This record gives sequence, C-alpha cells and structure tokens, in this order.
Amino acid sequence: MSTSTFPVSPTTGEPISTIARRSRLGLWLVIVADIAGTIALVISYTYLWSLNVNGGWAPPGATLTANQTNSTLPTTPSTATFAVEWPFWGILLVLIVATALMWFGYRSARSGNHAGLIAGAGLSFLVTVAVLVFQWIQMSTFPFGAGDGAYASAVLLLCASNIFHLFLLLFIGMGIFMRARKGLIDKTNWYQAQLASYYMTWVCIAFLLGAILTTFLVESPNTDPAIFGTFKQQ
Amino acid sequence: MSVETAVETKTIFGSEVPQPPQHGAAGGVMRGLNFGTGLVGGIGLAAVAGWITAILTPSSASNASFAPMEPTYVYLAVLLGWVVGFMLGIGAFVGPLRWVVGRDVTHADAEYMAGKDLGRKRYWKYTTDHKVVGIQYLIVTMLLLGFAGLLAMLIRTELGMTWTSLFTPAFYNSMIGTHGIAMIIGMIVVVSGPLGNFIVPMMIGARDMAFPRLNALSLWLFVAAVPMLVSSMFMGGIQDGWSVYQPLASQAPVGMLGYQMTIIVFAISTAVASVNLMTTILTMRAKGMTWSRTPIFVYGIFAASIMGLYAFPFFQYSQILGLADRVFATSFFDPLNGGSVWLYENLFWLLGHPEVYVILIPSTAVALELMPVFLRKPLFSFNFAVAGIVGVVALSGLVWAHHMYMTGWAPAANYPFMLSTELISIPVGFLVLVAIGTFWRGTAWTRLPLMAVYAVIFNKMIGGVTGVYLSDVPADQYFHGSMFVVAHFHFMLMGAGLFGAMAGIAYFFPKMTGRFLDERTGSIGLWTAFVGFQITFISMFVAGLQGQPRRVLDFDDQFNLSNWISTIGAYVIGIGMLIFLSAIINSWRSGVIASSNPWGSKSLEWQTETPVPLENFPVLPVVTERPYNYGVPDPYEAELDSIDEDLTEKAGTK
Ligand code: HEM
Ligand SMILES: [Cu+2]
Repeated sequence: MSTSTFPVSPTTGEPISTIARRSRLGLWLVIVADIAGTIALVISYTYLWSLNVNGGWAPPGATLTANQTNSTLPTTPSTATFAVEWPFWGILLVLIVATALMWFGYRSARSGNHAGLIAGAGLSFLVTVAVLVFQWIQMSTFPFGAGDGAYASAVLLLCASNIFHLFLLLFIGMGIFMRARKGLIDKTNWYQAQLASYYMTWVCIAFLLGAILTTFLVESPNTDPAIFGTFKQQ
Repeated sequence: MSVETAVETKTIFGSEVPQPPQHGAAGGVMRGLNFGTGLVGGIGLAAVAGWITAILTPSSASNASFAPMEPTYVYLAVLLGWVVGFMLGIGAFVGPLRWVVGRDVTHADAEYMAGKDLGRKRYWKYTTDHKVVGIQYLIVTMLLLGFAGLLAMLIRTELGMTWTSLFTPAFYNSMIGTHGIAMIIGMIVVVSGPLGNFIVPMMIGARDMAFPRLNALSLWLFVAAVPMLVSSMFMGGIQDGWSVYQPLASQAPVGMLGYQMTIIVFAISTAVASVNLMTTILTMRAKGMTWSRTPIFVYGIFAASIMGLYAFPFFQYSQILGLADRVFATSFFDPLNGGSVWLYENLFWLLGHPEVYVILIPSTAVALELMPVFLRKPLFSFNFAVAGIVGVVALSGLVWAHHMYMTGWAPAANYPFMLSTELISIPVGFLVLVAIGTFWRGTAWTRLPLMAVYAVIFNKMIGGVTGVYLSDVPADQYFHGSMFVVAHFHFMLMGAGLFGAMAGIAYFFPKMTGRFLDERTGSIGLWTAFVGFQITFISMFVAGLQGQPRRVLDFDDQFNLSNWISTIGAYVIGIGMLIFLSAIINSWRSGVIASSNPWGSKSLEWQTETPVPLENFPVLPVVTERPYNYGVPDPYEAELDSIDEDLTEKAGTK
C-alpha cells in the first residue's frame, strides 16, 4: 500500500482527473437543460413578438413607426414604452469582464500562479455582484410594468432569468474564491475553476441572446394582428 | 496557501488516500437531520412565510378583475416555504454550503451519508447510496400512484352511477386533473426512479452513481413536489385536466399554483436525475463494457434521461410563465394584452409528447431486458433494438403538434406533424419486432416477470394501433376530445407503462429485497388487473367511438352501458392491484429467500451478492462478452457438450 502521489478524491479514492472528467460531462448536461429553458424563453419572446395578438405586444404608450396596432386596445392613457437598449449590452459587457476574470483565475491555477487564481476568482465575484446590481437597477427602472403587454412580460422574464443565473454565479464564484484561498483549488486540482469558467461563459451567451432579442426584435412586424376577446374573469 | 501538515489518510480499496480535516463526528450536521426534521422545517417555514405574507399584503390588493390577491400571495408563500424549509430540514443545503466554505467531505462523512451502519434509519435520511435512493423512490412512487389510483376509482364510480351525481362538477374536474398529472408524474419516475437508481449502477458495474448527493437531491425534490400537488385539491383544485390549458388555468382558483409549483420543482428533480444517470452511464461502465455489451435496459434509461433533459424545461417554463401571469399580472397567455394560448399549448406539448416516451421507453426496455433471461436466448437483433430506441429519441421532439390538430394553430402544419407522428411508428415497430423475434422459437420459462411482459406486448399493440388512428388528421376531428383518446393513452401509460414497471419490479425484486415476489398472489393480481384493464378500456373505446366527450361528468344515456362496463372493469383493476400490492408487501416482509442470481441471468447486477454490499462490488468487474449470450455455446462448454452427447448416444444404443 502506498500513499497516492497524484491527487485523488478523498471520498472514493479515484484520481481527480476521473472526477473532473465526470463533473465536466455533468456540467455540459446541466447546460443542455439550461439551454432548453433559455430556448423556451426565446420562443416565448419571438412567438408573441411575431403574433402581436390584439395589437398588445408593445407597451401601450409606445410610439411605433409602423401602424399603431396597440391603439386598438381599450387604452388608458399610458406612458409605458419600450426599454432603452444599451443597458442590456452594458450588463452583458460587465458580465463578460467577470467571466474573463474567472477564466484568468482558472488559467492561473493551471499554471501554478496561485495568487492569480485567488485574485481572478475574487474579482470575478465582485464584478458579478456589480452585474447583479446593474441588472436589478435596470429591472426596477423599466419604463413599463408587468401588466403593460406581452413585450413587457417577456422582457421582465428574461431579466428574471438573468437574475436567477447571477445568483447561481455568485454562489459558484464565492465557492471558487473561498476554496482557492484554502488551497483546495491549485495546480493539480483545478477542474472546479474550469467548470465555473465554462458555466459563466454559457451564462454570457444566455445574456447575449436576451440582448439580441431586446435590441433587434422590438417592434412587432405584425401590423394586422388577430383580435380576440378577453378571458379575464368578469 | 495553507498546507495541512501531517494529513490523515484512509485506506480506500487498498490505497492510502489523504483526507481533509474531519470536523466532529462523521456526517457532521447530517447526523441530526432526517425526514422528520424536513417535515418540521417545511411546515414551519411554510407557516411563517404564509403568516408574514398575510400580514404584509394590503387587503386592498386585487388583480385586474378585482379578485383579491391575498390568497394567491399567501398560498405561493406557503408553497415556497414548504419546499425551502423541507430541503433545509432534511439537509439538502449542507453539502453545497460545505463546498462553498471549503470544508470538504471526508471518507468517513461520505460513508455516513451513504447510510453505512445506519440500518433502517437510512431510508429516512438524505442518503446518497443509490440502492437506498432506489428503494425510497419505489415507496414514494407507489404512494403517489396509489393516491392517483384512488382518485381513478372515485372518477369511475361517479361515471358509473349514471343515475345520480356524487360530486360537484368542479370537484369532479379537479379529481380528473389531479389524477392525470399525479399518474403522469408517477409513471415518469416509476421505472427510472426505483430501477434506474437501484439497478443501473450495478448493471454497468459501478459502485454508485456519478453524483451521489445529486441522487439524494433528485429524490427529495420529488418528495417535496408531491404534497404541493395534493394541497392544490384543497385550494380549489386543478379543474382543467392534467394539461392545464390556458386560458382556463389562469381563470382557475388558486389551487393552480399547487400544480405550477409541483411542476417547477419536479422539473428540477428530473433534470438532476437525468444528468446523474447519463453521466453515470457514459463514464462509469465497467472495463470492457463497450456499447455493444451494454444491456438494453441501460439504453432505455439513457434514452429517457435525454428526453427528460431536453424536454422538461419547456414544461417548466410553461408553468413559470403561467405563474407569472397569475401572480405578477404579466400577459404571456392573456390575449387582451398580447399573450397567446397557443404559446402555452406549444410549450406544453414540446414536453408532453417526448414525455410519453420517457414513460414508454424504460418499460419497453425492462421487457426487452428480461426476455432473453426467460427465453434463454439472445435478444433478437440487439442492434435493431438500439436503433429503435435511437429513432424514437430522434423523432420525439418533432411530433408534439399532433395534440393540437383541432386547436386551430397552424392548420397547414397538421400534415407534416401527421407524417412525423406516423414515422415514429417505424422505430417503435423495431422494438416490437425485436420482442417478437426473441419469442420466436424460444422456450419460454414463464415466471411472473415474463407474464407481465406478455401483458405489455398485448397492450402496447392496441395502444400503438389506436395512436396511429389518432395521428390521422381527418380521423382525429372525430376522436379528439373523446373517450377514445382516453382509452388510447391508458393502453399506453397503464397497459404498457405500468405493466412494464410491474415486470421490472417482479424481476428485480429478489435483488432489491433478497426475496422472491410471491408468484401465486403476484400472478393472480397481475391477471386480475389485466382482465379488468381490458374490460375498462375496450369499453371506453366503444364510448369514444359513440362520441362520448372526455372530462364530462353528466352524459347522454346512450353512453350508459359502456360506462357501467368500464366502471365494473375499474373495480376489477382495483382488486387486482390490491392483490399485487399485498404480494409486494408480504413478500418483502416474509417471502421466500432468493439466492443472489435466482433467474440465472448473465448481467452484472446479479453477479454480486444479495443483500448488495455498500460498495456493490468488492472488486470491479470486467466484461468480456455481449450481454445476452444465453445458449451460445462457448468453446469449453461445446467440448463438454460433445462429450455428453457421446454418453447419451451410448446410453441410447444400449
Ligand atoms: C404509436 C405511437 C403513438 C401514436 C401514433 C400516438 C398518437 C396520439 C395522438 C395523435 C394523440 C392526440 C389525440 C387527440 O388529442 O385528439 C395522442 C394522445 C395521447 N397519447 Fe398517444 N400516441 C402514441 C403513443 C403513445 C404513448 C406511448 C403514450 C404514453 C406512454 C401516449 C400517450 C398519450 C396521451 C397521454 C395522450 C392524450 C393527451 C391528452 O390530450 O390528454 N401515446 N396520441
Ligand atoms: Cu403525443
């Protein structure tokens, strides 16, 4: 019997490389499920955008360059309008910075630069906090409320999904940072930092999809929408 | 970087493994946590959350149609409080928190969490051992199916008593919806949960699942989800069927939140379980277990996991959007404000159809798995069986709109969907042919598991053929929304799915419990249920052909006769199921002790001893041949055979 010289899992005695391979696959599969959920959101957004049912896509106060389809509603005067586009990109940009920092931390871990790992993970965490704050500010200052039509609903849900992802990232980032400081992530055992970088990269893509939708698919192309009655309880 | 000097080590399978520092007794906080603390946490937090929400909600809060919002907010808070509190109380968050603060689990901790030396207590805890999780899944699923079965009996009683009404229409509708979704959830897990967890790791020669803690997580999320569904019955119920179409779902009483939360939580459970099973199967197969040496049951579970993984999020989001509409007044499904009910139907059926294969494929795979054992010959074309499963998975996401022919959504798309639906009969046909081919000229050793397979094949045939009628757009104009549809999917879900699960449970019972499932009572129960099943649902086809609409409690007198027959049949099913259940309970307690490989099977799960040791295999097995080489002489045996033959010849000439 010999004491293992390569890093092994304390619970099963398997080499860390085995655990890492397994976890990496697990993470890819989690991302598959996450992608499916994000696609469900994208479908919801684009579907309602393309239908513009009852002319109710745009918030009631929006000025449309196309026909004013939302004016067919029994409108109450409203100032609700489309969201400004740049904050979606701004938030994405800051998230990309956080992701890059995590990647930097992970690459540092692999090359044995432990200080780089701690700095990368720690800063990544802090920047992710900033992203969360920005996302929150954006969400609470939208020029529309949840009840202002399908566009408002879809955008708010995209932002809620962002916030959910950010909370996950905060948890992961905090873990990587604390574990790095304890020496649990290092030159021989870096797969968790790698997985964190992968997942953050996917979250950037999810944010990117949201930014694309809210920038390029704003006014509905459907200027002659179907008109239905309401099902609201009388 | 702080380096621990003089690290402790532990001997694991013969090698010294350095250990992280041990904090306190093995298991740490988990020592004090179990199902009881989970209940306390769940009920406690639910009560507190509900109470605080009630205080904080201004009594004037109301929605666009002036209905007060307080019940909605309070019920939602109670449900969220329950889930979080229950998971907290049972210890689901301990692992993640330890990970964050870097207090890694030691070998001793892991052994405690796997239930080592805990005896029966381990079944009440957040235990990571896949065999414990399998048994826990079995019990919870049986309870859930039992609950849904009770509702079924009440529904049939109401429909059979054509001269009076037992229930109000609203309560009747709520029973229908709850029965439907409870059965669907139960059937989704009934094979993948108990057998996927207990058997699959052993079948592939692994010591546990890839992520044992996630395994416990998926189980307990499932346990957390189910009471929310039951609770909704007391909050006005789910009155618009298991598919909770919009806009009815938005108009429904607050009980709908119970459905939505159940699905949201259950979807997480399914995703976690799928990731775990797939990773286990992909990375932990024994040395030598190439894809052509991997048992077909493993393929079936893998296929179900893929479909669950990609499809369930759609269902989950359909419910998240519905919940947002209800609670935050968004308008995803409200046409007045730009929403669309077709969006709901599409999201729902994007899961809804793949999910029927999530149910069908594992139980078909159980049947294919145990046929070679009882027919003592290889599976007839293993490759075709695999091709069938792959084909079903590949097409599963392309057929969903056959549920929407009559909704008016994209009528032009009906025909492509009709084509894709009918195409899927080809891979399904492969599976049937493999079954028939395996029976062909086989010598059947008809024990209880194989009897259940006979039932599966018969029922699946009827379900499949009627499905093809339904997928025909013109025919579906007549059938849609009728009892014909109900009979079709019961033939599939119950006839193929549940009987398949019964086959699997009977077959694996000796490994799971160390005892035989009593053949006498078991088969009496099985055949009674089978006969009752035919009476109930053949008669329901007739009602459907006559034009009886589904989900309606008062109907025209012309349908009375077929409903009476169906109700009598349902009681026969009920009796049969109770007999089968009593066989399970009695055999579990005091059945005949089984040896470790009572069916003489060649696959790995039977090669380890019973009761299965914590680590499954003291030494990891190596696989050297295809899984079903029954009756295929190996050279050494052939030699022995030829010697035997000489002897018989001599004996014959004497
Ligand atoms: C050959 C295979 C199958 C075909 C062609 C088929 C076809 C169909 C079609 C076209 C419908 C829609 C009928 C309507 O609403 O008008 C339907 C309904 C249904 N099928 Fe199948 N089916 C098949 C297999 C299955 C299987 C394997 C299951 C379950 C294990 C299943 C479960 C259901 C359910 C639950 C519904 C009713 C959904 C509802 O409206 O509540 N089917 N089937
Ligand atoms: Cu279908």
